[in-house]
Amino acid sequence: MMRYLQIFGTFVAASLVRDMTFRINFILECVTSLGWMGMNLAFYLLVFSYTSEIGQGSGWTKAPFFVFLGTGLIINAIVQAFFMPSAEEFAEMVRTGGLDTTLVKPVDAQFLLSMHRVKFSAFANGLVGVALVCWGASKADPAPSLTAWLLFPLLIGCGVAISYGLIVMLAAATILMGRNQSLYDFWFYITNFSRYPAEIYTGPWGGPLRMICTFVLPILLVVNVPAHTLALPIRAGDVRLIIAAIVAAVLMLVLSRLTFQAAINKYRSASS
Amino acid sequence: MSTAPTFSRHQFLPSWHGWTTMLSISVADRLAHRGDFFVGTLFRFLPIVTQIFLWTAVFSAAGTSTIAGYSRNDFVAYYLLTMMARSFSSMPGLAGGIARSVRDGSVKKYLVQPVDYVGFLMAARVAHKLVYFGIAAAPFALMFFLCRSYFPPLPDATTIMAFLATLVMSFLLGFFLEATLGMLGFWFLEVSSLIFVYMLAQYLLSGHMFPLDMLNSIALTDSGYSLGDLMQLLPFQYTAYFPCAVWLGKIQGPDLAFGLLVEAVWVVIAAVACRIAFLRGTRRYSAYGG
Amino acid sequence: MISSKSKTRGDSPVIDVHNLVKHYRVADKKEGISGSIRGLFHRSSRTVQALRGVSLQVEPGEFVAILGPNGAGKTTFLKLLSGIITPTSGTAEVLGHVPWQRHDDFRRRFALVMGQKNQLWWDLPAAESFRLHQVIYRLDRERFTRTRDELVDLLEVGRLIHQPVRDLSLGERMKLELIAALLHEPEVLLLDEPTIGLDVVAQHAIHAFLRRVQTERGTTVLLTTHYMKDVAALCRRVVVITHGRILYDGTLAEIIDRFTTHKIVTLDFEQPPSDATVASWGYSCERDGPQVRLRIDRERIAETLPRVLAGHSVLDVTVEDVPLEDVIADLFRAGREPEDEPPT
Repeated sequence: MMRYLQIFGTFVAASLVRDMTFRINFILECVTSLGWMGMNLAFYLLVFSYTSEIGQGSGWTKAPFFVFLGTGLIINAIVQAFFMPSAEEFAEMVRTGGLDTTLVKPVDAQFLLSMHRVKFSAFANGLVGVALVCWGASKADPAPSLTAWLLFPLLIGCGVAISYGLIVMLAAATILMGRNQSLYDFWFYITNFSRYPAEIYTGPWGGPLRMICTFVLPILLVVNVPAHTLALPIRAGDVRLIIAAIVAAVLMLVLSRLTFQAAINKYRSASS
Repeated sequence: MSTAPTFSRHQFLPSWHGWTTMLSISVADRLAHRGDFFVGTLFRFLPIVTQIFLWTAVFSAAGTSTIAGYSRNDFVAYYLLTMMARSFSSMPGLAGGIARSVRDGSVKKYLVQPVDYVGFLMAARVAHKLVYFGIAAAPFALMFFLCRSYFPPLPDATTIMAFLATLVMSFLLGFFLEATLGMLGFWFLEVSSLIFVYMLAQYLLSGHMFPLDMLNSIALTDSGYSLGDLMQLLPFQYTAYFPCAVWLGKIQGPDLAFGLLVEAVWVVIAAVACRIAFLRGTRRYSAYGG
Repeated sequence: MISSKSKTRGDSPVIDVHNLVKHYRVADKKEGISGSIRGLFHRSSRTVQALRGVSLQVEPGEFVAILGPNGAGKTTFLKLLSGIITPTSGTAEVLGHVPWQRHDDFRRRFALVMGQKNQLWWDLPAAESFRLHQVIYRLDRERFTRTRDELVDLLEVGRLIHQPVRDLSLGERMKLELIAALLHEPEVLLLDEPTIGLDVVAQHAIHAFLRRVQTERGTTVLLTTHYMKDVAALCRRVVVITHGRILYDGTLAEIIDRFTTHKIVTLDFEQPPSDATVASWGYSCERDGPQVRLRIDRERIAETLPRVLAGHSVLDVTVEDVPLEDVIADLFRAGREPEDEPPT
């Protein structure tokens, strides 16, 4: 464990050196991701200039909704910073044989392959996310309880774990199916539903969709559970969702481990 | 290369054989990744699904039937139409490809061959789009059929003709804008971040993100003009907002004719800019040696 | 920590391979539109037999060259020995371990260097990659620093380790790759075309380096290469693989002995003989002014030479073996076998 922390420390240091070598690029990455984010916030400000709430009676008025957006930004920043850059290189490594040199190292391959690169520019959005959460929470009525504040980081951790599991499974799928599709596209489309409050999915189509995205492919638990816990009053039924998020996080980690193993085994027996 | 290549003798567009070869490469390429393509195109509509839910939720609490002149159904129809318009005007990989070929020197190949580089790129892009539409027609038709209830009744023939014209022009405009951007690679080595900034601006300014007339309510201080008016002055609206607004009947009569005229002017300006950038770029390239 | 069981110094071979077979399937790609459309519904694939039963024993401290034409299965063999891929059948033990079980103890005791692949961080100085190796292989600081400085001095690359790898030449990069691979003092070193694309100076430096390290540490080295210079400089033992089988396993000198039927005889005449005279000797020849080069059957040199020398005044005679490259090329061609099984 200690050694893995040391290795990770080396990765962090190396990535930092690299980002500082390409400083202009680093700054541009920060600026563009801040730009995307700003445009999104502006869009929701525009929407809230026409309505006071998203989903009648859902509770997602302006301040809670910006807590939701901030939570999403924080989780996304962590995922983009620690896991996405490595996962994106994965298919490329399979194609060029870079995987070979990883597999001979006396370290867990999934660890080496899924977190060898850190993208510091992703933290820019995360900081804005923290600010939004603080601003939104301060306006929340009633103010978030101490329990909510304590649960919030734990649930953010669950959200990150669910996302990490999904990314690893997607990356493993590129080996299993022999595809080279841009992982990021799939990630973008799959997590598309998780970017909005679960309450908007109502009606004959929305209900089942909400169920599927909560219990089958648990992406609705990623942002919704922590944001809901902090920004809106905790009701009796919410406890079940909090437990679901924790269970889903563990399950996704286990499943991703298994698919990754299967993918590596296939690679080992199917290549020359 | 020591002397600047001359272009007058060159064919502007490839021969028939060139076209068919390019088309067949494009088809083969698409079919090689057929599974990804079908799934990928359907996935592309997923954001529409969330848009439907989002706007339903917004309208449920807003207590009005229209926002900025759009009903909930109009919003859904608008987003579906922007997908259509963007499939004409977006040029994935064009600017980046040009910049890369300048950087790694493979652009030289086009300077010595008797074919015009811009013409070649255009031909390749047309082939690419034709194949794309050939295959993407099915998922598009499916989505539009499923969502038919969100659309207003079919517009009259003039509007449909105008819509088609503006789509074709949006293809040309998108092509020349992105190609010009890629040509900047002759001057700057690293264009990828510029391309990113362009895409960013494009997403907002084209109306891809939301209908641009939503901004009409935001006044620019004291000038008497709104933010929406400012958007009308830029070429980007023609790559998404304008075609959609035409189909939805937001722009009619003299406004429509004037809009089409302005779009045509923008196409010409972008084409000329692209040509100038290419000529100056290659002159600079051969002068400094690639 | 090295367990006593896996200590293999002594009598048992370091590498012990029996009847190793590796098959894998590749999808057939068809050309053109119709091919792609047919491919929509039916994907045909065929089995490639990369290794068809390879057995090999390597003793501690041996330096073995593995030769063979492209696609013969050399790289597949090294990948099997590294445990990157698993075989279809057969057994192998390296340092007392089955490679594809990938025990950490095993992975800590060998190294693989692939000439065509880059293990060092591209954008960073090699020193950073070395540090990563230190952590991954759990080398204590003192030992790590000592080994690194030793290797860096041997290859004279002291200044290069602080420059980003992308700014280095291919030869410089290869030297640093080798250092990275040797930092944990592996007992077995697998080198896949380490000198590919390098200039003569870099090749010599790497030869000297490998020889020195191998002698001092007693490392067991397997090397695949296309350059006979590598073999001549480094390896006593040569294994030739063609089409997934071992065709020859023995010393370099023996290859020439066993597989050459001719010698090259070069004669410097005072008065160049006429073409007809040369033709009457009955051997294929090359002429360059007064110099004539003949390819003569080895057994018949004794009887032929006096006949040639008799009628002419000859200034100089040299008798040489056929160049090693030619012998090996002949050997590669001889090993050619019928194609892989037809598409299924």
